[in-house]
Amino acid sequence: MQSILSVLLRPRLLSTLQGIKPGKKKGNRWRIFIFIFIGAVFWLGAFIIFFRILNYFQSVEGFGDILALRLLSMIVITFFTLLLFSNIINSLSHLYLSRDLSLLHSLPVPAKDIFISRWLVSAFDSSWMVILFSFPVFLSYGMIYQAGAGFYLLSIAGMVFLCLIAAAISSILVMLGAVILPAGKIRSLFIVLGVALAILLVLVLRIIRPEQLVNPQTFASVVIYLNSLQALDAAYLPTTWISDVVSAALKGDWKFSLFSIALSASFAFSLIFINESIAKASYFRGFSRAQTTAKRLFYPVTLGNYNWDALLNFLSPAAKAFAVKEIKTFFRDSTQWPQLFLICALIVIYLYNFSVLPLEKSPVNMIYLQNVFSFLNMGLAAFVLSAIAARFVFPAVSMESEAFWIIKAAPVSIKTFLWIKFFLYYIPLLLVSEILIIVSNILLGVTPFIMALSIITIFCLVPAIVAMAIGLGARYPDFKSENPAMAATSFGGLLFMLCSFALIAAVIIIEAGPVYYTFMADVHGRNLSLMHVVRLIASFSLALLLCVFAVFYPMRVGEKHLSKT
Amino acid sequence: MIELINLTKDYGTVLAVNNLNLRVATGEIYGFIGPNGAGKTTTIRMMGGIIEPTSGKVIISGIDMKEDPLRAKKIIGFVPDRPFLYEKLTGMEFLKFIADIYEVETKIITPRAQELLEKFALTDWAHEIIEAYSHGMKQRLIIAAALMHDPRVLVIDEPMVGLDPAAVRMVKDMLKNLSRQNVTIFVSTHTLSIAEDLCDRIGVIHRGALLAQGSIAELNLAARTGNAGLEEAFLTLIREA
Repeated sequence: MQSILSVLLRPRLLSTLQGIKPGKKKGNRWRIFIFIFIGAVFWLGAFIIFFRILNYFQSVEGFGDILALRLLSMIVITFFTLLLFSNIINSLSHLYLSRDLSLLHSLPVPAKDIFISRWLVSAFDSSWMVILFSFPVFLSYGMIYQAGAGFYLLSIAGMVFLCLIAAAISSILVMLGAVILPAGKIRSLFIVLGVALAILLVLVLRIIRPEQLVNPQTFASVVIYLNSLQALDAAYLPTTWISDVVSAALKGDWKFSLFSIALSASFAFSLIFINESIAKASYFRGFSRAQTTAKRLFYPVTLGNYNWDALLNFLSPAAKAFAVKEIKTFFRDSTQWPQLFLICALIVIYLYNFSVLPLEKSPVNMIYLQNVFSFLNMGLAAFVLSAIAARFVFPAVSMESEAFWIIKAAPVSIKTFLWIKFFLYYIPLLLVSEILIIVSNILLGVTPFIMALSIITIFCLVPAIVAMAIGLGARYPDFKSENPAMAATSFGGLLFMLCSFALIAAVIIIEAGPVYYTFMADVHGRNLSLMHVVRLIASFSLALLLCVFAVFYPMRVGEKHLSKT
Repeated sequence: MIELINLTKDYGTVLAVNNLNLRVATGEIYGFIGPNGAGKTTTIRMMGGIIEPTSGKVIISGIDMKEDPLRAKKIIGFVPDRPFLYEKLTGMEFLKFIADIYEVETKIITPRAQELLEKFALTDWAHEIIEAYSHGMKQRLIIAAALMHDPRVLVIDEPMVGLDPAAVRMVKDMLKNLSRQNVTIFVSTHTLSIAEDLCDRIGVIHRGALLAQGSIAELNLAARTGNAGLEEAFLTLIREA
């Protein structure tokens, strides 16, 4: 008889194999190729960056090794934090919220086995990418320090134990949460998690103070500062043991490296044992509690007969109905909140960093530098916007999920449906982007020309990015996914990111030349030559045309596809 | 009135509906029965404008679904086989959403929604999010939503799945009542007793083609089963197809 565990894991394995089989689905091979290609580009990029950083550190006399090892422990801590959060989200969903859990719990299988099978899947889903992208880091360390095969084996083993430890800690926290939280409110864990993540991110980035790195006068203190982060190396932290595994193996201190890996392994296995014991005692109880009626976390505050819906009365009834539905659905879905908090935290950090940039200490002309930064900031803000669009706008069509039949059966055309979605996201994103660009420009103290240019460019880029997200989201929808928000990491999501980045890069490149001439003429009080004026008009017209094309073409493609779905 | 003319749906690997022709008169209740995978849901989805036919036409009260889908959809009340809804809206909000989409007159939306919620025993749940509803409650809500805009044609796929006996009785009475008010009703079902009790005429579909249609007596005649009833006639027709 086969072990129950392998039987429980089989549906997942078979579904994955079905998903990657070339089969009847057109273009599946093409999709897999693009995924692998993008992964390889990122992998190679990570390797080049780390290799260059480590190479540079080696050139810093006296500090090279300290910096390299400090960087290593920071990387391990970052990996561990990522693993913890990703494991909490995944184990919450795999252990308590997945649709197939009711079927599994109806089977004559001990809850403990169900727990272990789901825990393994959750740990794998949360960890494979971190392990994959830790390879280029270890490869660059290995190459710089000319390490042997033993280093690579121990590093990979160390990463595997780090993943197991993070997965085990996360599931213990989630199981305790499921027992402590009131029934039906398990989803509120997402909110706690979101707030915690946002605060942690702000704190970590402010502690690291990245702006110091652009201040040449403080380089020596940066070295001292990095070296002084002794708290990161506390002996009781698993991250310290993993850092020790890698750093000792790098130096050829095999005894200490093997001791550290044994410490990590025994800790990981102890945690797994504790997990199993907690699961035996409380997993099914927690699962049963989570099966009760879903409760709203907050009820709307009403002011007499006044309703916020009234603010949208200027819209047609159908458009208003869609808008109200979309807004309510979005804000009542607590799984959206952590990322919303995170984005707010990132925006605060983004703006704060501009306020502390020590430009006045730079040897380069300050006005020139301020405006170069502002021009680059335009691209950066657009990239931030693309990331937000990938997470929130691209899945907007998929979020209709299996209720999409309502739209198909309704007397509203797909075109109208998509344009309503477009405007619902366009307006808030335009506001966010313009605020971001105006505030950062004020903090940089740019010239009026650069300020106007930034505002207009963002004004043109936002609808193009939103339309691409809606259009490609409609071209590659996933109405059957348990978590439509994950659409952002699908083939369509990646395609959107690529198109969006290409558009932003094209617009910035087209504008760069004419902006330089105009800016320099402005600074020196000169008039622009006729040739420059013609080039300026041609460049801006071309950028505008690109944006207009990016608004209408993807929307048309999405509409055509959805009409035939 | 509903007319299906040479309606065909070919999914590439499966010919789900093959040259289907039928006509449902105004105020008639037409039952559509067939084994699993016969093409019932595909036919119903084409009638609701959810999927496009490969060829052929769907005519709703004289409006060609392909030529003017929005006008055709406006007079249809559609109930799918599985009650997928916007889970984060409350029942009342969902009914208002549907009413706005179908451009129901603003001043009658709330009283109409309250009336339907009352009728379908959902008043106590009106302000709870749909996520908290049971399957049967979602099914009741979806039927209520299909009636929000007073449709002239009702297209229903498996109306009684998940309903308790009282709700089944209520839905049956309601459909008969709507038929008396000249609403044309097309019902697909696996429950033969419901088809027998409710429908004026019944069509039997198998492998995408209509095997026979008519009253129960006419189906018995076509199946040469005497007065044996719908179940025997249906099984004989399928077996001999």
